[in-house]
Amino acid sequence: MAQKINFGDGEINIPELNTNKIGRFIFIAFIGIVLAGSFYTVGANENAVLTRLGKYSSTTMPGLHFKIPIIDRIEKVKVDYQYKLEFGFRTLKPGVKTKYSTRNFADESWMLTGDLKIADVRWVVQYKIKDAAEYLFNVKNVQNTIRDVSEATMRLMIGDRSFNEVIKSERSAVSDGARLHMQAILDGYKSGISIQMVQLQGVVPPEPVSDSFNEVNRAKQEQETAINEAKQEYNKRIYNIEGEAEKIINEARGYAIDRVNTAKGDVASFEKVLKAYKKAPQITKDRIYLETMEEVLSKIPSKVLVSSELENFLPMLNVNGGSK
Amino acid sequence: MNRSIFSIVLIFIFLILSGGLFVVNEKDQAIIIQFGKPVGNIITDAGLKFKIPLIQTVIKFDKRILEWDGSANEIPTKDNKYIFIDAFARWKITDALQFYKSAKNEMLAQSRLDDIIDGAVRDEITNRNMDEIIRSTQRQMETSEEREEGDISAEDSGIQVSQGARLDILQSIKNNVASRLSDLKMGIEVVDVQLKRINYNQQVQAKLFNRMISEQNMIAEKYRGQGQGKKQEILGMQIQKSKEVRSQAYLEAQIIKGDADAKAVSIYAKAYNKSPEFYNFKKSLETYTKTLDSTTKVIMSTDGKYFKYLTK
Repeated sequence: MAQKINFGDGEINIPELNTNKIGRFIFIAFIGIVLAGSFYTVGANENAVLTRLGKYSSTTMPGLHFKIPIIDRIEKVKVDYQYKLEFGFRTLKPGVKTKYSTRNFADESWMLTGDLKIADVRWVVQYKIKDAAEYLFNVKNVQNTIRDVSEATMRLMIGDRSFNEVIKSERSAVSDGARLHMQAILDGYKSGISIQMVQLQGVVPPEPVSDSFNEVNRAKQEQETAINEAKQEYNKRIYNIEGEAEKIINEARGYAIDRVNTAKGDVASFEKVLKAYKKAPQITKDRIYLETMEEVLSKIPSKVLVSSELENFLPMLNVNGGSK
Repeated sequence: MNRSIFSIVLIFIFLILSGGLFVVNEKDQAIIIQFGKPVGNIITDAGLKFKIPLIQTVIKFDKRILEWDGSANEIPTKDNKYIFIDAFARWKITDALQFYKSAKNEMLAQSRLDDIIDGAVRDEITNRNMDEIIRSTQRQMETSEEREEGDISAEDSGIQVSQGARLDILQSIKNNVASRLSDLKMGIEVVDVQLKRINYNQQVQAKLFNRMISEQNMIAEKYRGQGQGKKQEILGMQIQKSKEVRSQAYLEAQIIKGDADAKAVSIYAKAYNKSPEFYNFKKSLETYTKTLDSTTKVIMSTDGKYFKYLTK
């Protein structure tokens, strides 16, 4: 009579034994050990790859599973885990205030752009293992491979763009292009890796030239300042001048009113006098004449009266003498 | 029946203990060596395998894709630029028997690969221009948004339309490596060759940085100059504007004054026209009082109207 015991997919025939108590004890202990080694758990974010006598058998999902002891081996792979690789910098201690290594990674981050300048590019690659069996069996040292591919790919992307483009407009094209290109290479290796994201952390001028780039920004600021100052000065002056112009015009208006009114006044007085004059022209004329002469001659201290009967008087007169 | 099962188990145990049974796992492939010579086929599929104990030994090789990482070599390009090229490759053992005969182990294979791949890279790079190596497409690049028409450029002739050929270069290197490997019957297949890093040497890099700095300084000076220029322009506009406003005001003022003068003239003329003779008389007398004063000397003739009573 043979006893049959099933283990998972396997089946073992155990011959009926007629041994003593010690033998039975050993047998039970053996069964216990075998049972203990015949099931395993796969964690929530893991897959397990099961090989039977070295040969790939199956990939098992999270949960409790059976295997044949000794013959079946499992290797657990974190498939749902986001792996992260950093290029051009290293995070020392992630957290609220993430600490970065101060070491210089210029070798990794400096690369030639399409117009043969050098840009300092820092980026992060996030990946997942999409196929645990491919990941384990196809490529030796997968992480190194991802690093190498990532560096080569990023240089390919940056190399096809000008310095200005990578620093400004083409960043998303670079990261998208890099992700697709990396994926294509890694799929070519059947690496079982899925590139989730390539993220550019910073694309900046390399440190030896960064000052000159800051200088350009400062110059831009200075340019704006100069223009603003000039505009300010312009406004101030122009308002002033406009006031001055108003003043000139108003003065002219005042002059005009003055001039016309003066004329009107003069005329009015003339007309009044004329009216009176017309009533007795000769006598008025004489009166005015005499009054005027009186006024004029009284102001003049030096007067010479010459009789009309006297001749050749003028040469004798000391014209320059004055009345000293 | 018991006895036959028992003997099978015993043979099994004997085989395991003596090394007659062995496991090839998925990462590996194996060949069997007998008296120093490989026998039988290459074992590439994983599983439980047999060999003759004691006489035969097993040599396992990796079946996976393996790394090769070269060191950076300074290579001149076709247009005579010296650059450091750092390549990497991925390869695998496709024929374990040939591999065993030619390379024996991975370490030796790596050093053979050093020669082959470095050589292929060098051949290709020396035959290519810098632009072809760096660029991968014919895409038109926007080289400088700072540049405007009329600017004097720091670069002599700007960037020529370059023929990017990075991907062709990689393919060509790979093909070259593959053909050398098959000539050498190494049992190795090259999966991929990539250029990891391409750098200028120190001197060229320093020159480049100087160029970049001077270019930026030029741009900065341009901004400053533009700022000052614009400032002067605005100040000039201000002078122009103030002259304009002032002269406009002068013009208006003169018109206003002229109008008023004309009006006054016509007022006077209209009134004085009523009796020009009286106006002349009166005005003449008025001017006498104004023009004659204590500094005047008067010589008067008794013939005058004023003295008509004196002479009579």
